[in-house]
Amino acid sequence: MKYLTANRYALGLATALGIALAAGSASAQECTTKIGAVLPTSVDWGKPIAETAQYVVDQVNEAGGAAGCKIEMVLRDSQVDPKVGVDAAKALVDIDGVQVLIGAVSSGVTMPILTSVAVPAGVAEFSCCSSSGAFTKLAEEGKLKGLWFRTFATSNVQAAVGAKVAKDQGYKSVAVLYKNDDWGQDIGKLVAGHLEAQGIKVTSLIAINDGQPSYRAEVTEAISGNPEALYMALYPTEGTSIVRDWLSLGGTQNMIGANSLKSDEFRNNVGMQYLGSFRGTDTSSPRVASADAFVAQYKEHFGKEPNGPGLANSYDATMIALLAMEAAGKDAKGADIAAAVARVTDPSGEPVTADKDGFAKAKEILAGGGNVLYQGATGNVRFDANGDVSAPAVVWTFTEEGTKEDSYITLEEVGELTAK
Amino acid sequence: MTGIISYLVFFTTMASILAIATLGLNLQWGNTGLFNGGVAAFFGAGAYGTLLLGGTSQEDHLGGFELPYVVALAGGMAAAGILAWVVGVLTLRMRRDYLAISTFGMAIVFENVMRNAEWLSGGAKGLRGFERPLRDALGDGFAYNAAFLAVVLVLLFATYRFLQVLVRSPFGRLLRAIREDETAARSLGKSPARVRLTAFVTGSVIMGLAGGLYATFYAFVSPQDVLPTLTFQIWAMLIVGGAGNNRGAVFGAFLIWAAWTASGWLLSRFAPVDAQIYTGSIQYVLIGLVIVGMLLWRPQGLLPERLVISQSGQAPS
Amino acid sequence: MIQHLIDGILIGAILSLGATGLTMVMHMLRFANFSHAELLSIGAYSALVFEQLFKAVLPFTAGTIGPLSMTWALAVAMIASMAVTGASAVLFDKLIFKRVREKGEELSMVFASFGLALIIRNVIGLVFGLQTQLFSKDIIFATVLSRDPLIMVKPDQIAVLAITLLIIFALHLILSRTTYGYALRAVAENPSLAQVNGINLQRMIVTVWLIGGGLAALAGVFYGLTNQISPVIGRDLVLPVFAATIVGGLGSIYGALLGGFIVGIAANLALTVLPSGYSPSVPFLIILAVLLVRPHGLFGEERQ
Repeated sequence: MKYLTANRYALGLATALGIALAAGSASAQECTTKIGAVLPTSVDWGKPIAETAQYVVDQVNEAGGAAGCKIEMVLRDSQVDPKVGVDAAKALVDIDGVQVLIGAVSSGVTMPILTSVAVPAGVAEFSCCSSSGAFTKLAEEGKLKGLWFRTFATSNVQAAVGAKVAKDQGYKSVAVLYKNDDWGQDIGKLVAGHLEAQGIKVTSLIAINDGQPSYRAEVTEAISGNPEALYMALYPTEGTSIVRDWLSLGGTQNMIGANSLKSDEFRNNVGMQYLGSFRGTDTSSPRVASADAFVAQYKEHFGKEPNGPGLANSYDATMIALLAMEAAGKDAKGADIAAAVARVTDPSGEPVTADKDGFAKAKEILAGGGNVLYQGATGNVRFDANGDVSAPAVVWTFTEEGTKEDSYITLEEVGELTAK
Repeated sequence: MTGIISYLVFFTTMASILAIATLGLNLQWGNTGLFNGGVAAFFGAGAYGTLLLGGTSQEDHLGGFELPYVVALAGGMAAAGILAWVVGVLTLRMRRDYLAISTFGMAIVFENVMRNAEWLSGGAKGLRGFERPLRDALGDGFAYNAAFLAVVLVLLFATYRFLQVLVRSPFGRLLRAIREDETAARSLGKSPARVRLTAFVTGSVIMGLAGGLYATFYAFVSPQDVLPTLTFQIWAMLIVGGAGNNRGAVFGAFLIWAAWTASGWLLSRFAPVDAQIYTGSIQYVLIGLVIVGMLLWRPQGLLPERLVISQSGQAPS
Repeated sequence: MIQHLIDGILIGAILSLGATGLTMVMHMLRFANFSHAELLSIGAYSALVFEQLFKAVLPFTAGTIGPLSMTWALAVAMIASMAVTGASAVLFDKLIFKRVREKGEELSMVFASFGLALIIRNVIGLVFGLQTQLFSKDIIFATVLSRDPLIMVKPDQIAVLAITLLIIFALHLILSRTTYGYALRAVAENPSLAQVNGINLQRMIVTVWLIGGGLAALAGVFYGLTNQISPVIGRDLVLPVFAATIVGGLGSIYGALLGGFIVGIAANLALTVLPSGYSPSVPFLIILAVLLVRPHGLFGEERQ
């Protein structure tokens, strides 16, 4: 029965690894709490998301750690492969014993992690960037036990604001291009709906697949409708290709983009001279004195602006997770940590900023039994019963150095816009 | 310790599911010489088929048949079989390397359709609304995973036995005869085309079984589960384990999946955070080197095919 | 409509160059080389390196050529890149394919090429990073050829098309008019017979890889010029290049040229009937259609 031998061999190998690990963790520094992160570090836009999460952990450790211990983030690469990501999450939960998981990015990876690892094990999961509406539905069905949070404001906010920008700029017709994934399919349809509700004609609604040899046909198709403006829910790589072709074929410079295009790569490879009329949308921090704290400190640490898909969201997801750990106290289980999220995002709580000092302040308040309102990089993050957030929004433009805010749209205005 | 056992149960379940798919590929490539470059599509057909047939009603896509699990799983396998039959009829008469390209392209189309046809498959956000069978009785913790592993192991063993018997049967001899010398087989009055189609469909149904189990395990499937990477992983398992040898296929699946996950674990442990962006790329380079190295130095795999002399009535395993 | 046709021809020219090399390799060595498209990446990246080098050493080459976005430095870099890529192709054959071939398993080569593609793609990603790069950040505006119907082309694309046609014509002349060309074709038709007649098989194989690699490098540079350079060029182009090869028929230079155009045009026209989300499916549908109607492609000969 060699088949069983093979099987046993694999088991033996894995057990040996497990023992090696157990030995490693025993010799670790006293009182370190591990949290797990499953992020696509091997993808161009995934690495900065992971770096941002690690940066939060570093800051919290500078502020003395969370729940009385230093925090160690064990980072695993999901490779955007669901089975690799799920396996990594399972190892983090079972072997490293983490009670908090950060990640994943793609909904197709996050979903199986959540349903087959996090929820069964009672581990709290915080995702920066998974946008699928399926999570909301699962939560409504009561299958997530309140363990799920995401700092990615529903795509409807950006879609509604994008349509508002088109209206304010006086565009009569817009061509909509969207990334052909769960996020893009969602936001593309929403934008088209909002544009039409505003009385703006949608000349074409075109799905853009990743990694196509040429986007010329899609661009030609979009341009043939003679739109006054172009709306893009795209990532920088495809966005760059498309805008370069679009402009060279004489397309308009009136462009509106989702926050995924807030990227240096996009700005540099298209060129500032063509981006004067570009308007971007994003969810935003509230208007308080420390509003720019995140951007300022990010620039100081990384030497560039936090431009790129999901960076602010990643910051908030990790920070809220650690704040909740602090609030839940030492050796808290995932469910306690999840329950403590309400204490750190309490609208009537004491506001704290999104940085090291904010965390230190939060520690004091929480220790005194008070609640805090975390004013994050993406706004006054407030989760509803399904773990979703709503946030104020901004319209931004590109500058030579990066981006700057063009106008601010309050939570109330966003609420009105999205209700339409 | 319980954590390690819990993880190992999880690991073994996934490895066993992949081993079933590898066995399916072994029938096609190892025994019949058919280069199936689209494993992901047949795996995916099984996964999508099972969830569509066994899932609860969803407003935004097809489904809600809520068939008993066994029927749903059989339906998933049938879906893989039907897809294989259609693809086989269209492409099996081609040059052998054209078959590789066609099936590779077909898998891209499969992923593409699942990504776009929201009414059918839920589109890019994936297919949900499936309740794992017996969940009410077993919960969704360790007990469930252990029970599910038992079922998967039984099915892996059953598949293995089925293929062992098949390979030693006259039909199995015919497969190898066609693989080695098609003209000779034809001169004996055999129909290589039909035999190849049968082997192709059977192998694909086995991949469909693996896909159905995979989707059951996660209670979810999305286009990301059926990318070409999966095809490549299954191939690597077969080549390293030993094409033509069913034990080799199973061994290769466990070995490659262990290496794949353990390398990620080791890199996360010992590689500095700054180097993490490279880990995915390094892993792929290593896997590529292992495959090329195997083909160069041990093309028969770790457990090579053993020549079966059927006449001597050799006892099975 | 007409714009789609023209766009299709222009992207098709790049596919043609890739397919011409692939068709020769597949014809002579009889295996589907999944790593051929990676040679385009090698070509694009080595041209990028050489261009920087030439610009630094010979600053006067930094100017662009006429209305093109291509610099003189890049033009020279392209030739250097063809040599490097051709040499890499020969090296891969020596290190991998030759040895697998000698073990007698043709189809193992298919899988070996799969593995090689993975290695090349990820090594490039490790060395140059995962982000996309451009030869030139300037955007060259398309020239309007006609207002109604609206037809626009970029000067770069006209140059790409012209060079492609020229090269393929030259290649055809070499293959059909010179002894060397006869020898190449003889080896592809029947290697043992050709060897009996005193043709050095090994040298012919090296020649084919050099040509294939050189043309792939050109295609890679042209792709970078009209699009972007990234480590996943090979992954994105493998299926369209295969489609062009199969449509044209193995071993036919003109077939590959035409195949590239057909695949390029079909991918563009498909958008007028299919939703754009389905565009990745188009190359496969073309392969299927051609093989059902003409199992050996438009210009391929029947061969077992």
